[in-house]
Amino acid sequence: MSALLAIDTSTSRTSVALIADNQVLWSEFEDGVNAHAEAVPRLVQRALLINNEISRVIVGMGPGPYTGLRTGIAFAQAFAWARNIELTGVCSLDAIACTASEYIAATDARRKEIYWALYKEGKRVNGPHVNLPTEVSGTHFVGEGAHKYGLCADATYPEVSRFHLLSLVDQPMYLRRPDAVPTVER
Amino acid sequence: MSQPLILGIETSCDETAIGIVKGRTLLANEIASSVEEHARFGGVVPEIASRAHLEAIIPALDRALNSAKVSLRDIDAVAVTAGPGLVGALLVGTSSAAGLALALDKPLFGVNHLAAHISVDYLTHDRAIEPTIALLVSGGHSSILQINDITSSVTSLGSTMDDAAGEAFDKIARVMGLGFPGGPAVDLEAKSGDANAINFPRGLTQAEDWRIRPYDFSFSGLKTAVARYLESTPTYKRADVAASFQEAIVDVLLQKSLAACQATGIESLVIAGGVAANSRLRQLAEERCADVGVRLRIPSPILCTDNGAMVAALGSLMSSAGRAPSAIDFSATSSLEVTTVSVS
Repeated sequence: MSALLAIDTSTSRTSVALIADNQVLWSEFEDGVNAHAEAVPRLVQRALLINNEISRVIVGMGPGPYTGLRTGIAFAQAFAWARNIELTGVCSLDAIACTASEYIAATDARRKEIYWALYKEGKRVNGPHVNLPTEVSGTHFVGEGAHKYGLCADATYPEVSRFHLLSLVDQPMYLRRPDAVPTVER
Repeated sequence: MSQPLILGIETSCDETAIGIVKGRTLLANEIASSVEEHARFGGVVPEIASRAHLEAIIPALDRALNSAKVSLRDIDAVAVTAGPGLVGALLVGTSSAAGLALALDKPLFGVNHLAAHISVDYLTHDRAIEPTIALLVSGGHSSILQINDITSSVTSLGSTMDDAAGEAFDKIARVMGLGFPGGPAVDLEAKSGDANAINFPRGLTQAEDWRIRPYDFSFSGLKTAVARYLESTPTYKRADVAASFQEAIVDVLLQKSLAACQATGIESLVIAGGVAANSRLRQLAEERCADVGVRLRIPSPILCTDNGAMVAALGSLMSSAGRAPSAIDFSATSSLEVTTVSVS
């Protein structure tokens, strides 16, 4: 049976899932801020033992801390290229579950900032953006970034098992430009 | 087993490079560089390099397969630079390599960038050269090594105590307004200059240095001497400064490399790394090696600067020697020691 391979490395949690017929066939995660590069191949290797026939790869395009985020995307695009199958991307924030009708999903952006987006009736209506937590106002927050700054009780993470339901994104969502000052401006 | 077909990936700095090698035959060497994006910053910006790698790697893989005229299914193993290098840049390569290896169900070799620089020479020569002394000179490294077996036994005899040789070229190019990267710019400028115009210092070549640290380098004094000369000589001739500076570096690199050959009795020298593309180093190395009867090998300039062929070459040598592949979840190491040829 062919399955979708879903991968996310946009937060401190590395998640991988197999999805077939809209059902989650298998899903695992590993936690660790600097562990994505090792966790992704480890988890995918386990996934392939469950089901080696992959029809599409879906990867979280962030926003997320760049280095970890890129390990997931780099792995996903190389895997899809080698198998000659389709690669699609999604906004990782869209996969953070919440039952409220209006909420803000926020992940940790480091430098005391959060990546966030506003959702109404299950749709993203504003964002993603990167800001200081104090610059973001809302009544209901979810996500690791919101939890870090005391905006919600529990840390929750993007659920890769929902990736196949989300709208597509075709570029990594960095949201910030690289820090560098041209020589002439120094 | 017939000769292994190896795909090599290099992303340790600003070059996204893919090489394909069969045995010791080079089939493809594709390089996409982000160097122009870094020029206005006067050096490589890690985040810019990493973003560029992610964009460039799949197109580079496509081009490499096309130019090698091989099918991906026929690849026997994937090799990738595991370090040393910029960690964010390395991880794009290692993650891509792991994705390929798992997708294709092939072994993965995480190899040392520096050992790969040396092993690229094996693509152009059939005859074994080991043991050999190797002078490894690039933007991040300057060492003299003894190579007994490039797949397993690399010993460091000495290395730079401050700047790498390539770094010194970059810094001098910057103070003289020659642009970035400095190596090719200084090399070009020096061609019309007098290498003996200014007697710049040769670091760590006093009698005491030869006794205590015969194979170590220091280029910071030279850098300061050049800066002082430029300040105190407003009418300086740029070409003469470039040529004299270059001569000082090249002279000391070769003095120490040949001293290592003499001390160990090994009559073979390989020069590798980006600085090995320097035309004066190549010319003077030929003269001096011929004088003392040391066999010299320097890869062609395109194989001296960072490339994927060198990674594939080391992967091929590892595979042929029956070395164990790396674990699929091996870690990239930004400060990987030159003596660690591959990671487990």
